[in-house]
Order: sequence, then C-alpha cells, then structure tokens
Amino acid sequence: MAVYKRSYHGYSGALTPEWSRFAIIPRYAYRRLFQSKIMTAFFVLCFVSPLVFLSLIYVANSFGSIAGLFGAKGARSPITIDGEFFLIYLGVQSPLAFILASFVGPGLVSTDLSNRALTLYLARPFSRVEYVIGKMSVLLVLLSTITWIPGLILFGVQSALAGGGWLIHNLWVAWAIFAGFWIWILVIALTALALSAWVKWKIAAGALLLGVFFVGAGLGQAINAVLDVRWGRLINLSDVFAAVWSNLFRMPNGRDISPTSAWIMLALVCASCIWLLYRKLRAVEVVR
Amino acid sequence: MNHDSWSLWRAQVAAILRLEIKKNFLAKRGLWIYLLAAAPVVLMWVHAALNLRDHRVCDLGHDSLIFAAMFQFFYLRLAIFFGCVGVFLRLFRGEMMEKSLHYYLLAPVRREVLLVGKYLAGVITTSIIFCTGTALALIALLVHVPRTAAEQYLFAGGGLGHVLAYIGTAALACIGYGGVFLLMGFLFRNPVVPVVLVFLWEGANPFLPALLKRLSVIFYLHSLIPISVPAQGDFAFLAILSTPTPAYLAVAGLLLIALAGLWLAARQVRKLEINYGVE
Repeated sequence: MAVYKRSYHGYSGALTPEWSRFAIIPRYAYRRLFQSKIMTAFFVLCFVSPLVFLSLIYVANSFGSIAGLFGAKGARSPITIDGEFFLIYLGVQSPLAFILASFVGPGLVSTDLSNRALTLYLARPFSRVEYVIGKMSVLLVLLSTITWIPGLILFGVQSALAGGGWLIHNLWVAWAIFAGFWIWILVIALTALALSAWVKWKIAAGALLLGVFFVGAGLGQAINAVLDVRWGRLINLSDVFAAVWSNLFRMPNGRDISPTSAWIMLALVCASCIWLLYRKLRAVEVVR
Repeated sequence: MNHDSWSLWRAQVAAILRLEIKKNFLAKRGLWIYLLAAAPVVLMWVHAALNLRDHRVCDLGHDSLIFAAMFQFFYLRLAIFFGCVGVFLRLFRGEMMEKSLHYYLLAPVRREVLLVGKYLAGVITTSIIFCTGTALALIALLVHVPRTAAEQYLFAGGGLGHVLAYIGTAALACIGYGGVFLLMGFLFRNPVVPVVLVFLWEGANPFLPALLKRLSVIFYLHSLIPISVPAQGDFAFLAILSTPTPAYLAVAGLLLIALAGLWLAARQVRKLEINYGVE
C-alpha cells in the first residue's frame, strides 16, 4: 500500500477486559525478569527452605517408623509441628522475600519515570491505580510463590499426615501464615514501589530499600538510648514485624512494642508509601 | 614525569574537584545523606535541650558511653557506610546511568587524574558532612553538663583527644569506605548485591577470626575509637575478642585499603568504555 494511502483509523481488535488490564504489566515484567540468570537462580534457591521444612514435617510425623528401622521402639520426635515451627518458617522465608523484592522492586517504576514513559501508559485507557496495581502485582505474585503458598502447602501436608484433629486444633496457624506473610509482602512491595518512584536511579533505590530497614533499626536503638524512651523500636521495622507476627502466632512478644502500636505503625508506613506514589505518578511532569 | 605534568594534573584535579564538590553538596538527591548525618546530632541536641529545660544534671560518663555506642553502631556502621555508598557509587556508575560521563572522558585529561579528582571530591564531601555531624553531636554532649565538668573532661580527662579521635575516625571511615565503593562502581553494573555482602561482612566482623577481621574497614576504625563498646545482641557471646591495632597501624591499614581500592579502580578506569545502551 502506498504510504500516502495510510491514514489514521481506530484500533478494531479485541479489547482486554477492564478488570484484567493491570495484568498486562506483570506478564511482560516476568518475561524480562526471568531472562536474568542470577534472578532465576535466586528464585529457585528460595524453594530450598520449604523443601527442608517439608522433610522436617515428614520426619516429625514418621519419627516412630524411622526409629523402628534402627531398632528403637516408642521413640518420640524431637520436632514439634506447631505455631512456633511455622513462625520459624516465616522468619526464614521473609528475608529471602525481602532480597527478592530489593532485586525486582527498584526497577519497576524508576525505569518508566527516568525514560519519561509513564505518559505512554496513562495515555491509554489505563488509570494510575491500575498502573500501581499492575506494578505491585509483579512483586505480590512473585513473593507469594515463595512465601505463603509453600507455607500453606506445608500446613496442608502436616494436616494430612497428622490427621483431622491436628487441623481443627491448629486452623488458626493457617491464618497466621497467610496474614503474616501478606502484611510483610504488602509493606515491602509498597516501600519498594514508593522508593522506585522517588529515586529514579534503580541502584540507589535498591540501596535505599536496604537502608530503610537497617538504618531504621539503628536509629531506633539510638533514639531509645539517647532519649531514654521505648518508642524508638517503632522505627525498627524488623521489630515491628516481629511484634505483629508474635501476635498472629500467639507467641510471647519479647519486644517493647504492643501489637496494636505495631499494626498502627505498619498502616502508617503503607499509607505514606501510597501517598508518595500518588504524588509522584502523574501523567504530566514539570521538568526544571 | 616532569614538573609541568604535575602542575597540569594538579590544576586538572582542582578543576574536577570544584565541579564535583558543587554537584555533591548542592544536589537535591543527596539530601538523604545530610539527614543521615544529622540524625544523631538532632537526637543529642534534643537530649541536651530536654535536660536543660528540666534543669537535670546529666552524668557525662554515661552520656559519653551512649555517644560511643551511637557512633560505633549507628554512625560508622550505618550512616557513614550508606552515605559513602550513595556518594562514591554515583561518581562513575551514577554518571554512566545519567549518560553524562562521556563529557569527562572527551576532555583532554588522563583517566587516572579524573579518578583521583572524583575520589577526592567524594572524600571531601562525605568527610565535611560526617565530621561536622560528629562535632555538632559532641558539642551537644558537652553543652548540657556543668561547665566545670565539661572543662575537666576536655582538658584534664583527655576528652579533647577523644573529640579529635571521633572526628578523625569519621574522616578515615569516609576515606576507607570511599575506596571500596569507588571500586565497586567499576566492577559491578548493579552494585547493590556486593554492597549487601560488604555490609554483612562488616557487620560480622566481631565474630570473624583475627586474620579475617583485618580484611575489613570497620576493624581499623574500631581500633581508633576512644571508647569501644562490645558487640551486643543475642549472638554477642560468639564475638571473638582481639587486641586492638595501634593507632598508627590502623590509620596505615585504612589508607592501604583506600589506596588498594584506588589502584584497582585506576586499572579499571584505564580500559573503561561506555555503552549507554547497555547501562
């Protein structure tokens, strides 16, 4: 066809349903992410500890039979599968999820902003909220696959091996696994996105994400020591999460943070991240 | 190498210093480094103001111990560490990301001279920021105790030496970490992972055997701190005690680490080629 005969005409293909448009972003993001060998290797490595915990569950439930092979009778497993066991699982998997988020998160929004590509998204029938949900779902799905999904599978395996009585007695543990991981994923995903939006250089955004946790911990200790107070611990997000998780897993809280103040602190962190994203993600930008 | 070359290089380093210092000090994106440096200052001044308001007399010994812990665990390990990450990684890697390094490389200046100029600019920036922070926090420490006690501490109790040691340690930390992170900016396209590894290595220093301890910046810095606070936390019992290095050896060790970093970075900068498409 001659070039002069080409003229504008509207798109006549099939439209993606409005509710699922956000899913376009993760589809392309995953394709790019898993091109990195280090990223793929680390993602696979994240499944090692669930496998270890799975074998521990198996050993705990079959301890009598295994001991019988060696001639020991009436032996009892030294491993107890209860809330504490799954709290340890949460303690092992959450740093891995954090490292994964600091790999993936900083580049999610910063590349769009530094290349001034946000207008290309928002010029289409695609809202800011959908953009944020789309970018966040990259992290949410990725982190879910290494945290609460294997956690609930472990819980299911234990229920199958230990019987219905154990399941009914420990059903709250399943909720604790689900809620404990979700609050962790939500906070680190929002923090990673907010930092990624405000710090356009993704390396700096990654370093800052680490800084938020480590510097916050140090500053909290310094506040407590210098001002002789206890609320400094609220700045230490690791302690805040520990308080929330202890509350969910019905474990004694060894820290000076009440569960209520910890939940309020996490809500404040989420709210400030959403506000930061709202301020930064706009279809127009004034460049000075 | 004649006298003319040296004077030319000095002039070029001075020109690069002027440019870089202006960039480092006035950049809005560097605001967080000021916040990091100011955090202990604000805390110490709030503590001083509250005590002065309530007419409470503070125990200088107790306060100086708190300051020592804060300096050791917050200032050196976190604030200066992350501040140097921000400043020194940006010197080359940041300019590559911003697609502005070629302006320097197109100028008739030796790569090594450029490297030294940028490194010195980073050292001056971070040293001024963090040494000022240390000095201001120390002033807050002394301002709210009775004048006689402060004078006795400074002139009779060796406090003046402590003040100089803290400020000097902060400056040496900037020199040491600067050399390490400058090199990392060359070696890794995404230096976050190596930065985390260095952070863990430095954090694990009290638990390392004596020989491995020497392969870190924090070991030499610990030797220079006037009041050393032992490792704290659940795993403190695992800490391996080692005799502190004499000050002259610690300074030499830190300068050696910085020089090694600079030398390796100079090897990298000589063969540096920019492909902005890949960055």
